[in-house]
Amino acid sequence: MKDYRVLFEKKGISKYISHLDLNRCMLRAIRRSGLPAWYTEGFHPHLYLMFPLALSLGTESICEVMDFRLTEALPPEEILQKLNAALPEGLHAFAVREPHDQTQDICQAEYLVRLSGSALADLWDAFIHQPQILTQKRTKKGLKEMDIKSMLICESVIQESQELVLMLLLPAGNDGNLNVSVVTDAFQNFAGKPISVNAVCRMKIFCRNQKEFL
Amino acid sequence: MFPDKLKSYLLEVQKPSRYTGGEIGQVCKQKAEVRFAFCFPDIYDVGMSHLGMKILYSLINERKEYWCERVFAPWPDMENIMRREHILLYALESGEEIRNFDFIGFTLQYEMSYTNILNMLDLAGVPLFQKDRGEQIMPLVVAGGPCACNPEPLADFFDLFILGEGEEVNLELMDLYQKMRGHASRTEFLKAAAQIEGIYVPSLYEIQYHEDGTVKAILPHDGAPSHIRKRVMTDMNQCYYPEHVVIPFIEPIHDRISVEVLRGCIRGCRFCQAGFLYRPFREKSAGTVCQQAVTLCRNSGYDELSLSSLSTSDHSQIEQILDQLLVYTAEQHINLSLPSLRIDNFSKSVMEKVTTIRKSGLTFAPEAGTQRLRDVINKNVTEEEVMHTCQIAFEGGYTTVKLYFMMGLPTETDEDIKGIADLTQKVVNLFYDMPDRAKGKLQISISTATFVPKPFTPFEFEPQAEKSEILRKQAVLKKAIKSKKIKVSMHVSDISQMEAALARGDRRLCAVLYDAWKNGSHLDSWEEFFDASRWYEAFQKNQLDPAFYANRTRSYEEIMPWSHLDYMISRKFLIHENQKAHQAQTTAPCRETCAGCGANQCLGRPCF
Repeated sequence: MKDYRVLFEKKGISKYISHLDLNRCMLRAIRRSGLPAWYTEGFHPHLYLMFPLALSLGTESICEVMDFRLTEALPPEEILQKLNAALPEGLHAFAVREPHDQTQDICQAEYLVRLSGSALADLWDAFIHQPQILTQKRTKKGLKEMDIKSMLICESVIQESQELVLMLLLPAGNDGNLNVSVVTDAFQNFAGKPISVNAVCRMKIFCRNQKEFL
Repeated sequence: MFPDKLKSYLLEVQKPSRYTGGEIGQVCKQKAEVRFAFCFPDIYDVGMSHLGMKILYSLINERKEYWCERVFAPWPDMENIMRREHILLYALESGEEIRNFDFIGFTLQYEMSYTNILNMLDLAGVPLFQKDRGEQIMPLVVAGGPCACNPEPLADFFDLFILGEGEEVNLELMDLYQKMRGHASRTEFLKAAAQIEGIYVPSLYEIQYHEDGTVKAILPHDGAPSHIRKRVMTDMNQCYYPEHVVIPFIEPIHDRISVEVLRGCIRGCRFCQAGFLYRPFREKSAGTVCQQAVTLCRNSGYDELSLSSLSTSDHSQIEQILDQLLVYTAEQHINLSLPSLRIDNFSKSVMEKVTTIRKSGLTFAPEAGTQRLRDVINKNVTEEEVMHTCQIAFEGGYTTVKLYFMMGLPTETDEDIKGIADLTQKVVNLFYDMPDRAKGKLQISISTATFVPKPFTPFEFEPQAEKSEILRKQAVLKKAIKSKKIKVSMHVSDISQMEAALARGDRRLCAVLYDAWKNGSHLDSWEEFFDASRWYEAFQKNQLDPAFYANRTRSYEEIMPWSHLDYMISRKFLIHENQKAHQAQTTAPCRETCAGCGANQCLGRPCF
């Protein structure tokens, strides 16, 4: 019995697979791959599969993480090759390792965001330098107003000809999450006009002290 | 794939992976000579559960030069975007507009999906009426499936219908097309196609009516045959079955591998259209079933396997199949389910085998509350058998039982309705009288549906009960139920009358269907979208009465709108069965005695 952590990309049309559907999709892929997956030993055995950090529907990623267990140790290359042969378009595993960090260590994630527009840089600058960045967050009890200023770290801003390209560092994990769409919605409200989000891609997942989640 | 234009809207709709394609198991081809758009006239979640589509999709794609792709009806959120942004209906594999395909093929599974067909053709930019499609040979709009047994309400919209099982005839049709496409017009092709057994070209038949609105004559012209016989696969072990299926990202209604274990049914329940349409009874051998099950599980990675048919426990080797399969499924952590078990042969050993895997609710369909009425409908199930089965189920640890009944059956009286309550109460008592009953709360739910008379059944002559009568009977039932353990769900809806009218309708209903769609009807099988007034208006506009089709007794001599379609069930047999029904006489299952329906003529031997 051995634990493995698979790192994979979720790109292209696979970004339309929801988190729940991804779970079922991966489960079947592992079953198809012929890898000797480990099953729980309870009354209803099921394949042990864990995703430490969910990804929003519509967001691409180059750093997704999935943990599972095999009944025997296998060379990482073999695991990668068998798994990739069973994965649908857009999902691609690129590394297999032993899990180091634990799910609860996750605290931040970095996103590349592409907004449609040729002259948005100043507007963005004004947006993030407000004393407060107020936004509506949907909760179980209805809409709640909150200030996301302290949660939002903008690492870089580049104005390309047709797009504003942002690198955002946002809280992630059990202790609090901030969805990219909350930020982009707030920016739209601030701008007072629709700004279409061309692409969002998760680039990295971090533990405390900006150590990459491994 | 999907059209580029859609990209910016996909995140605005629910479950976007309904519209993207790209699933494991989809078939893409660089080039293909004949392209077939297989359209399921309902949303992805429903269509991707359908076994027939999986079979025919793979079958066509086995041929190198043919390419079959999938098409589903969009949910209204997506439909609005498509209409607003002028995105035409496309096939999921290539993302290309289906109006440029050679064939646009619909499967006709239930009558209330007919308006979806019109809506999909409209979304595809294809003229709805066959006569408006011109002499260009493509696209040919075709349909098959169970409702093709009376396709008259759709006759004006389709180039041709495929009767019976499609495994051979679909390819024969595509072969003919490939041969003729270079030089033939649409009409020329249709005349030639009408010569293939199982192909019905409605435009080659003229329908004459009596003054009272019944059919006077069905007259073929241009060499079309006077009767069109359905196609049947005679050997299920030789019959094509896929080794790979498309595995959806979202969860469809039935999320599992299905292996068809048999076709047809030995039971002869007189209300059940499938029981007659799919005759004769043919089994796959235990070896074939197991081999296909293992192959599909292995290739798909599914952990849910279902042995499907109209009545799986009627397979003569069911225990052998279960014994063989359970070794594999247990080892591979696969749930095995038998969706259509019957009350009377639900043996303890089968039960034990199934429960080794999973315990969930049990569902039975006694269909009628009294023995007399069960004899009328030939549901050969006795009260003792219901009790016996429930006892086995309760002993096996089940505490949830669902019972299905019909209302408005021929000869039904209030006694029969009260019988539903009595029978259910006896099941409740049985549970509480058991000393060693399972822990947990007993939950019995009964659900009633309005009976819809269908073509090619012994009840094709019968009137459907009026809505007011159903409402009155529902009140009788509610009053008769005493126990709080019994949950009743019944709903009345005008859907049943529309279903009945379409099921036994004639060609004049094409105009009604068109107007109902124009009035905004589609997704009618989704109750939240069904609006009866649209349908009644459409009937009125065309000076037709739904009651003429749904609630009228038809004589044994009447020419039915489907009388030229030969499903190998003789009229003489149906009349005889109808007479027996009115005398509450049962007919034995085919395996015991041949009732002489006529279906075995395609086998050239007795069925058993």
